[in-house]
Amino acid sequence: MTRLSELPTLRIDPYEELRFEYDGRPLTGVAGDSVATAMFASGVRVFSRSLKYHRPRGLYSLDGECANAMMAVDGVPNAAAETTPLAAGMRVGPQNVRGSADHDRLGFLDMFDWAMPAGFYYRLMHKPAAMWPIAAEQIRKMAGLGEMEPDHRTVGRYTETYLNAEVCVVGGGPAGMRAALAAAQYGARVVLLERRPWLGGSFEHRLRSLDDGTPAYQRARDLAAAVKAADNIRVFARTALIGTYNDNLITAVQRGANGDDFDERYVEIRAASIVVATGCIERPLLFENNERPGVMQIGCAHRLAHTYGLLPGRTAVFSVGSDGGLECAADLADHGVAITCVADCRPEGHDPELVEALRQRNVPFLAGWVATAAHGRKKVRGVSLTALDGTGTRDDSCDVLVASAGRTPLAGPVTMAQGKLAYDSHTGCFLPASLPARLHVAGRLTGLEDPAAIETSGHGAGLAAAADCGRAVETELRECDERLGQLPGPAAGSGLVRSPTHGRKAFVCFDEDATVKNVRQAIDQGFDVPELIKRFASVGTGPGQGGLPGHNLPMLVAELRGMPPESASPTTMRAPMVPVSMATLAGSSHDMCKRTPVHDSQKLPGAIMRRIGAWRRVRYFSDDLLCRAEVRNVRTNVGMLDGSSLGKFRLWGPDALNALQRIYVSDMAKLRPGRVKYSAMCNDDGCVVDDGIVIKRADNEYYLTTSSGRAGQTVEWFRYHTRYDGWDFKMVNLTDALGVINLSGPNARTVLERVADARVSNDAFPFSGYREFTLLGRVPARVMRLGFVGELSYELHVPSSYMRAVWDGVAAAGTDLGIANFGVEAQNIMRMEKGHLIVGSESEQRTTLNDLGLGFLWSRNKPEARTVGSVALAQTLEQPDRLKLVGFRMDDPEHTPRDGSIVVDERIRGWVCVARNSDALSQAVGMALVDEPLSGEGTTLQIYEDGCGGNLATARVVPMPFYDPGGARIRM
Amino acid sequence: MSFLITCPTCGPRKGYEFRYGGEDKGPRPDEAGLTPEEWVEYVHMNRCVAGVSKEWWFHRDGCSAWFTIWRDTRTNLQVQVSNDGPEEQS
Amino acid sequence: MFLLPSTPLWDTSPPLKSSYDAVLIGGGLHSLATAYYLARDHGMTNVAILERRFIGYGGAGRNTAIVRANQRTQENVPLYQEALDLWPVLTRELDYNLMFYNCGNLNLCHSEAAVTAARMNIASAQFQGVGSEFLAPADVKRMVPALDVSDRPRHPIHGAMFHPPGGIVRHDAVVWGLAKGASEQGIHIHQQTEVTGIRAVDGKIQGVETSRGTINSPRVLLSAGGYSAGLSHRFLGVRLPISPLTIQAMVTQPLKPLLNHVVSSGAYHVYCNQTLKGEIATGAHMDPWPNYTTQTTAHYLKHQAEALTDILPCLRGVRFMRHWAGLADMTPDMAPIIDGNDPVEGYYLNCGWGYFGFKSCTSTGKYVAQYLATGERPEILEPFRLSRYKQHRLMGETAGAISYTPWN
Repeated sequence: MTRLSELPTLRIDPYEELRFEYDGRPLTGVAGDSVATAMFASGVRVFSRSLKYHRPRGLYSLDGECANAMMAVDGVPNAAAETTPLAAGMRVGPQNVRGSADHDRLGFLDMFDWAMPAGFYYRLMHKPAAMWPIAAEQIRKMAGLGEMEPDHRTVGRYTETYLNAEVCVVGGGPAGMRAALAAAQYGARVVLLERRPWLGGSFEHRLRSLDDGTPAYQRARDLAAAVKAADNIRVFARTALIGTYNDNLITAVQRGANGDDFDERYVEIRAASIVVATGCIERPLLFENNERPGVMQIGCAHRLAHTYGLLPGRTAVFSVGSDGGLECAADLADHGVAITCVADCRPEGHDPELVEALRQRNVPFLAGWVATAAHGRKKVRGVSLTALDGTGTRDDSCDVLVASAGRTPLAGPVTMAQGKLAYDSHTGCFLPASLPARLHVAGRLTGLEDPAAIETSGHGAGLAAAADCGRAVETELRECDERLGQLPGPAAGSGLVRSPTHGRKAFVCFDEDATVKNVRQAIDQGFDVPELIKRFASVGTGPGQGGLPGHNLPMLVAELRGMPPESASPTTMRAPMVPVSMATLAGSSHDMCKRTPVHDSQKLPGAIMRRIGAWRRVRYFSDDLLCRAEVRNVRTNVGMLDGSSLGKFRLWGPDALNALQRIYVSDMAKLRPGRVKYSAMCNDDGCVVDDGIVIKRADNEYYLTTSSGRAGQTVEWFRYHTRYDGWDFKMVNLTDALGVINLSGPNARTVLERVADARVSNDAFPFSGYREFTLLGRVPARVMRLGFVGELSYELHVPSSYMRAVWDGVAAAGTDLGIANFGVEAQNIMRMEKGHLIVGSESEQRTTLNDLGLGFLWSRNKPEARTVGSVALAQTLEQPDRLKLVGFRMDDPEHTPRDGSIVVDERIRGWVCVARNSDALSQAVGMALVDEPLSGEGTTLQIYEDGCGGNLATARVVPMPFYDPGGARIRM
Repeated sequence: MSFLITCPTCGPRKGYEFRYGGEDKGPRPDEAGLTPEEWVEYVHMNRCVAGVSKEWWFHRDGCSAWFTIWRDTRTNLQVQVSNDGPEEQS
Repeated sequence: MFLLPSTPLWDTSPPLKSSYDAVLIGGGLHSLATAYYLARDHGMTNVAILERRFIGYGGAGRNTAIVRANQRTQENVPLYQEALDLWPVLTRELDYNLMFYNCGNLNLCHSEAAVTAARMNIASAQFQGVGSEFLAPADVKRMVPALDVSDRPRHPIHGAMFHPPGGIVRHDAVVWGLAKGASEQGIHIHQQTEVTGIRAVDGKIQGVETSRGTINSPRVLLSAGGYSAGLSHRFLGVRLPISPLTIQAMVTQPLKPLLNHVVSSGAYHVYCNQTLKGEIATGAHMDPWPNYTTQTTAHYLKHQAEALTDILPCLRGVRFMRHWAGLADMTPDMAPIIDGNDPVEGYYLNCGWGYFGFKSCTSTGKYVAQYLATGERPEILEPFRLSRYKQHRLMGETAGAISYTPWN
């Protein structure tokens, strides 16, 4: 197809050819084409088939406002061909067709629309009942547009950028550019977002001269040059708005161009002030077959010619409702398109200059006329028109029908930010009626049509935005408002929604194949407001994001129900304004995982790492998931575990003890320097939320540990429960500042003696002791003697920066003994054998401190402390039938139930928290939470494992600990 | 959360830096003579005002302070920065 | 259209009477189901549903339509199990296709701890006769080929809990079908009728005030979803242990069949399913502060893409199309509050359903109807008393101490 090559508005290079493939056929486009325009240039007219009826669909808006031009591009389905720039070598294919878009074997479905009225699937497809599952599978296959292969991988550069702007202008048309320039002139830092690759908006493709004689496109380019020259305006072109949110948060998606280091990126902007200058889209005219290929909007026909050099057809009929249609008709006539006639549904109020232009070109102009039906099967071949006053009808043949009822302001960015719209009877549009703070509107969005008024309103909005940023703009803003007052206000619009037609094939929503008739059917069935019709007849829920039916649906409903247009309310507009791919949203997909200071020393061959909370830690050091070698080495020799993820805190100040008394269930006034104190924290239901060690280092100076998972919330917890008290205490999270080595086993002291610069004999450093000394001659350490795994055991807390040196030093000191790493699971097994619980593993929401057998920690002698949990602990102390933590031994020592098995009799009576075949004990033992009547020693528990098919295992409740009940080994 | 919260220490920051901490119910009651009814009111029961609510927030990714703000639960916007706010209203 | 009557599915503008035997506040699924069963099982037809906006405008029309009966605790399972059984039954009874698509639910486990939790749920389900089984990663891959079961994801898949009886139901159809069924039996559904007060004298319910006048009634059921707790406090000074949080969901552009099961993951905080229309519906996130805005957030749109594409990498090429939010009335133990006559006689509550009110609406409505009609609490509703919080006997439907409230 030859292109118009001399127009000054063109955005293509007709001489740089790009080859691509469509449906297996080689086609050629040119640089600057979109995929859709390149296809159009190659003669493609049927671009897709519709969702339900498989009706042929063609180019309609050229802006991706409906699914008509959705394609599979390079394996990615549902790509909007109209807004996807053409690249050499692209593979493009049709969607939702059996055969091709031109010859779709499912095209016959269009004849069966009578069998598919609104909501038919609710009323019909369940009878007989056995049919429904089969029908459901058929619906699944028929529905959906594109296909995604399960093993498809989208490759590309997807990035993110986050900005703070003083003023963010949405829309790079004349109003938006003037707003940006006005704010920038007062020194504001401005970000300007424009969806198309170039600035210019409604001026950009138009040859018509403005009042001062400058052609509109030239004015657009002059403004764009001024914007580019302004240092403090940053332009994001090819950037579509996703949403506006509270307090002026804006998100957008930007497509990369040559030279960018991304293919697509997510843009998030927090602005002090926003100017919304998004302009208008066109409002579809509702008539029979209003979406036949060849029926297109004004902007589509105009921009095909002026931007891409493509004539939309040879013979055109226009049925429009705004002056833009007249201008387009005159331009196309100049380019050689035969314009059969221009029907305008407005009986009066046309721009006389344009009417004259049509007359000069011998184009018949029919004021007060409208199309009632398009004819032709795969392409439009003719059109029936009628006079709205009933004085006549006519039929014309054509191969393109430019149809549009008027304009719809793109007000989504306003309503998403909690602004409100109201129906304006003068323009026939929903216009912004109340605006959120620090958000301004300008341009055609406000109903303006006059180019000078559009620019002036943009200028004023830019000034107002600058004022939000503290700039003194009063004088100029006043002048600007006065000037705007003298310019033409919003132009009268046609209120027409529907041409006089039955509406059987007049589509309100192209994407969902929803017609005027379907809307009437929905109303008849009781769905009489747009929000309900949207749900019932799926109007506006398709890939076009509801833009096209956004105005027509509420107006049509009002009309069909005989209500005034003022009563109409549009459905809620929500982000995303445009479809956004998950690759773009995911961006660089941050993985915020923490590594301990000795991470590399843990990554030994065979080690199996897990993400445990925020950390990556080694769970197993071999593929023996029972960890027998690791456990045996600790039980009989010595092992070391990287416990750096343990929560560690310094707490100090005059009220530090008060805070401890509030948070911990124990009496912290009894703490003595040099000793560790184990205690627990409860919530106000008495449920244990954490346990750990508290150490008094000096008066008003404490060091405490929490579980790894709780470390992030500990300061918050302390401060929350003391927030009314005004206490003077300070707290610092040292979790990342200190690493931890757990050195355990009967030979632990031997190893420690070799690295410690202090006496660590059993007398000098007994069980439950706390000491501070240096290791390896220089590294300060906090060392506590504990027994979590049930052996002689030390916990060495050392500065993170020295952790690797200390780790290596301890390992070297134990080499001759056979010291070895042990992991989280080995620790889990050993602490279970010792009867020590882990909060969250052997506790849950239903269990209090008392239920877990930890009641001994609770001091009832400090009511003045108002300890968190104490009230609930007292109130539940005598309560019957609570869950209790018990130890059990399996009757069959060879059978260990899986963690998570349940305890049953007639009903579920509890569950197995942890159970292991204990190598040290040669028994299968575990811990369970069971109803209190089952918690007595010697009670038989019946254990039901998933998949057991009713074959219960049995166990007996036994006292804990299972291992070394006397505790000799931890005191040796 | 897209809205901003003004922290008394750090100034306006995006809401995701903070954690909500419940309606302002006053200090912990004395334990002496406390009935289960009174206690559950304090611990669990909420007014759930559809309007301006005085509530606690914690600056988790900031200064680690708990403070109160007034927020309109119908718009998610903080309506008053200082602690001397309006009366709660529904 | 000759096949279908073009008459309203339900009476959209019945006369507002000055007196009803029962008034149900809220035009959502729980009210509609209660009304339906009041008429069907108890012959109570002089009943009004009062809805401020439109039926099904709240959580009923905003959920992701997933149904299942593999809850953690045995107190919860029976209601959900019965609800699962009711979808085909109600489709027949109402003569309205609720579109129950029995595709089964796959709940992914990404750690040893998650496997333990899943084992407990599976064992509980099996013991109670509910279909549920544990699947190894290779079997998971066979069922949903798009899942990445390799070690690459940040939370690799250790296995999954598969629950064959679950699936998805067309949520809006349930609203309309129940409205039809209730209306056909004479129940009055009053839309755009706002309750402005509940009248009680001497501890007894007298009726309600509405934007259209006073209604006398000896029984009032508050089942207004996310608005329940605020209304209870405002009208009667009765506070509830509820936080109304927004929960968000979104759908992608429509695709040909890709996911044949509901897929959910606790570690990634997502669930997703492919609707019959081909859209992948996904959600889960709650904004952890109470509000009534039903605003969506930019943060969550992004989070969902990050999470979903880590386990379902092919979705990187798929676009999100619609994003919305609804209110979830969360209780501290993720179980509802169903209670009556405490502290006011004739005042009934059915709320606190959080984000699981859809799955159970039909069976719950049936028992709440029995409760309202007889004044006797059905055995199955015993566990859901409000007094459990006072007794510190939370239900444990969430295993750990919950994270969305500051007091845990």
